[in-house]
Amino acid sequence: MSDLHVLCKIGETDYLFSAADVLQMESYSGATRVPGAATQVAGLVQIRGRVVPVLDLRVIFGFPKIEPTLNSRVVVLQQEGRTVGLLVDSAREVLKIPAADFQPPPPVVVQQTEGMVKAVAQRNNRLLMLIDASKVIGEEQPHGE
Amino acid sequence: MSNGFDSAHFLAGFIAEAEDHLAATNANLLSIEAAAAKGQPTPRQVRELFRSLHTIKGLAAMVGIEPIVEVAHAMEAVLREADRAAGQLPRGAVELLLKGTRAIEQRVQALSKRKAVSPAPAALVSALAALRQSNAQASGAAASTSLPPELWSRLGAAEREQLVQGISAGRRAWLLRFVPTPARAAAGFNITAIRERLGTVAEVVKVVPQSVAATDDAPGGLAFALVILTDAADALVAEAGAVAPEELTAISLEETPAALEEGGPDDDAVDDPRHRGTVRVEVARLDDALEKLTALVVTQFRLGRATAALRAQGTDVRALAQVLAENGRQLRDLRASIMRARMVSVSELLERVPLVVRGLSQATGKSAHLEVAAGKAELDKAVAERIFPAIIHLVRNAVDHALEPPAERAAAGKPEVGAITVTCFERGGNQLELTIRDDGRGVDAVGVARRAGAPLPTSDEALLDLLTRPGLSTKTEVTTTSGRGVGMDVVKRIAVDELGGELAMRTTPGRGTAFTLRIPLSITIVDAFSFLCGGETFVVPVATVEEIQEVDLDRTVRGPDRRRTPRGESDRRRGTRGTDMIQRRGEAVPVLRLDEIFGLASPDTSHRKAIVVRRNGEPYAFAVDRMLGQQEVVVRPLEDRLVRVPGISGTTDLGDGRPTLVLDLIALGSKLMAESVTGAGA
Amino acid sequence: MIIACLRPQTGWVFTQAASGLEALERLSLKRFDVVVLDLNMPDIGGYEVIEFIRGQDKLRELPILVVTTRGDESSRTRALAAGATRFMTKPFAPEALLGEVRALVADGRPEAPP
Repeated sequence: MSDLHVLCKIGETDYLFSAADVLQMESYSGATRVPGAATQVAGLVQIRGRVVPVLDLRVIFGFPKIEPTLNSRVVVLQQEGRTVGLLVDSAREVLKIPAADFQPPPPVVVQQTEGMVKAVAQRNNRLLMLIDASKVIGEEQPHGE
Repeated sequence: MSNGFDSAHFLAGFIAEAEDHLAATNANLLSIEAAAAKGQPTPRQVRELFRSLHTIKGLAAMVGIEPIVEVAHAMEAVLREADRAAGQLPRGAVELLLKGTRAIEQRVQALSKRKAVSPAPAALVSALAALRQSNAQASGAAASTSLPPELWSRLGAAEREQLVQGISAGRRAWLLRFVPTPARAAAGFNITAIRERLGTVAEVVKVVPQSVAATDDAPGGLAFALVILTDAADALVAEAGAVAPEELTAISLEETPAALEEGGPDDDAVDDPRHRGTVRVEVARLDDALEKLTALVVTQFRLGRATAALRAQGTDVRALAQVLAENGRQLRDLRASIMRARMVSVSELLERVPLVVRGLSQATGKSAHLEVAAGKAELDKAVAERIFPAIIHLVRNAVDHALEPPAERAAAGKPEVGAITVTCFERGGNQLELTIRDDGRGVDAVGVARRAGAPLPTSDEALLDLLTRPGLSTKTEVTTTSGRGVGMDVVKRIAVDELGGELAMRTTPGRGTAFTLRIPLSITIVDAFSFLCGGETFVVPVATVEEIQEVDLDRTVRGPDRRRTPRGESDRRRGTRGTDMIQRRGEAVPVLRLDEIFGLASPDTSHRKAIVVRRNGEPYAFAVDRMLGQQEVVVRPLEDRLVRVPGISGTTDLGDGRPTLVLDLIALGSKLMAESVTGAGA
Repeated sequence: MIIACLRPQTGWVFTQAASGLEALERLSLKRFDVVVLDLNMPDIGGYEVIEFIRGQDKLRELPILVVTTRGDESSRTRALAAGATRFMTKPFAPEALLGEVRALVADGRPEAPP
């Protein structure tokens, strides 16, 4: 298992994805809305010819929605044969964090994120939350609805 | 063109047989040429050629197509002499014979499109005659002209033939422009007047309106391009066209290898019927069969409705329902069979490519040999038509850019003849993998990076990204043979965006390059209307649309509110506040506002277009902002469950690189009506 | 036969164009409020004319009233899909045509600058 993780931000909160799950990262310039899809579905984008559904991570974690910026990124995940993108405020770094540095998440985090954070790590006094990719894209209803 | 049932019948048969013989002729000619390069004699091929042309001549005579008889006769005479000389063909014969084959092919094509067949190209016929005394050759009929591609593409086949024919026969062909201005209009010079004036000194082949940037000289933003043929003096023509003689642009013939502008592969040709137990089928007949099948499906549907009605009355319909289900399965199987019949063999699709390479070799002075190894791979005709120009472009690139001139190759220790291979095999998952490989100099990463103004790419993938940037191609690949409308960016757009496939590249400096296309074996293409709704673009398949009408939302009739939501009030968001209705041929049709249904912004006018669909015999009218047009689109189904919603059958790419939703208005209509009856929420 | 109308403050002015090409020419040189277009035309197809007009930025909103002898649904659908605004079939009384034309112009569309 690689120790590499992609670091993303929503507001001031840091989230990690295991690099093994990440297919690619793309900038975001809007998506084609899909009327009738769940609220966390931002829409469809075309990435290198592939049509990919994009979920708004802000909506999934109960943050207020914002207008995308030049820093916004779509983190394209591959899980169990599905290719789904996650929209985040920014995704600039790839960190090397060995498995030993991860600890189970505190109960309050587990509750708030409904099990979507599977571990946490510390770096420079910041708490980084490792996201369970399959839970996040498997969710049918966003957090809080 | 046809005078009645009998001649049309014969004509179809003639076209089919002629095409078979022409394909064999091309193959033989190429084989003769390759053998001649090695100094090997080819008496068998010469005899087969002689027989083919003799047959073509006879067939053409039977259906009375004089021009083909003439060309075939001239070719046959050359071949008879060669046959008597133990297969020895005079110098330059193969070249001329290929041109002759091309001339016959063009006329057979014109016949199949029921257009006029132009007279035999006099120059070519005399050249062939001269060949029999082993004289120097003259130029023959070419496949295209120096007209810019955007004009050439606006000419129909008959007009192109007319132009090419006229030039071959020695007439002068001119392109001139007329730009309407208020001053000219005031002086009585409008497009009608100019046409009339030109008509007195020339034959006007075509007038093409063109958008141009609005400037002082062209205040209307419109210019007309006129293509004419004439024998009159330049000064007279210029005067008639109200232009200066310098403004006349000569149109000349251009040697283009094979019929690439005619686009793509032959009809569903299968092998020589004498050997394979196969049948030639025109694609149009298959499409017709598919249409009739659709009608059967609709009938099946109506039977289902009638059965449901019977059941509602208490009749026991179980046996009937079983038969219906069986019928439905059989219809699906039938559809699959017809779709399979549309498959084109990749080998046949690529039959012409060696011809292309041959022409390019001559034009560029490089030596190239092409091998096609496609085995039994097959493609749906719709995919084949779309991918063919991309393949041709990659092959052209290989000869034009990748392969080094013979001297350079020799110095590098490579064989003088450059090797280009096209291999193809079927991958799992409904995909075809096609690789175009050359043993040339590889892609110049430094040069590409510089032209793109980007840092040096660190991988083949990154280099390919740069190569396929729009605009880059036109700068780097404008040579006389490439640069004709398909650049690397278009190759990517076709293979990846349009067809949903992949494009990859591997290159080694000094050794060679390989481009790999992965494309779906079959795709869903539908004829679709595109429209604007709530400021966003959508498409809907033409087959599902009964009609498009104008509708004024201020003048609809409010029908009774049949729905009761749990809260007992109208749900405005779903746009069915009491059902708006319009009168249409004595029917009351509910009007559903698509912008409200989708939660989009409404335009500020009440005048909309309504797309009328019918489900279970009930019509629905969906009000949208504006119709945009009609085009064939490739529909890619939405696979992920997150985005599978009723009313949306997939996405397509209208050319802007963004997914555009393909709507299933019938399903949407029934979902909304179901909600309205039960009062259910989303 | 194609008719294009220009309405200065004083009333209607009808301009005739003998062919699709001439219609495009006139449309490019002057501002018109409505185009009445016959689908049966000699030199350039009716649908092609509609598409060309819709392809011009400044003519995108120009009301196009299509008139034809064919009453079948497919030509109506095709014309509207190509971008026509209204569709009428002959024969009709001249008042009906005028009524449609007036309605199209009085539609409340914002006046485009000439």
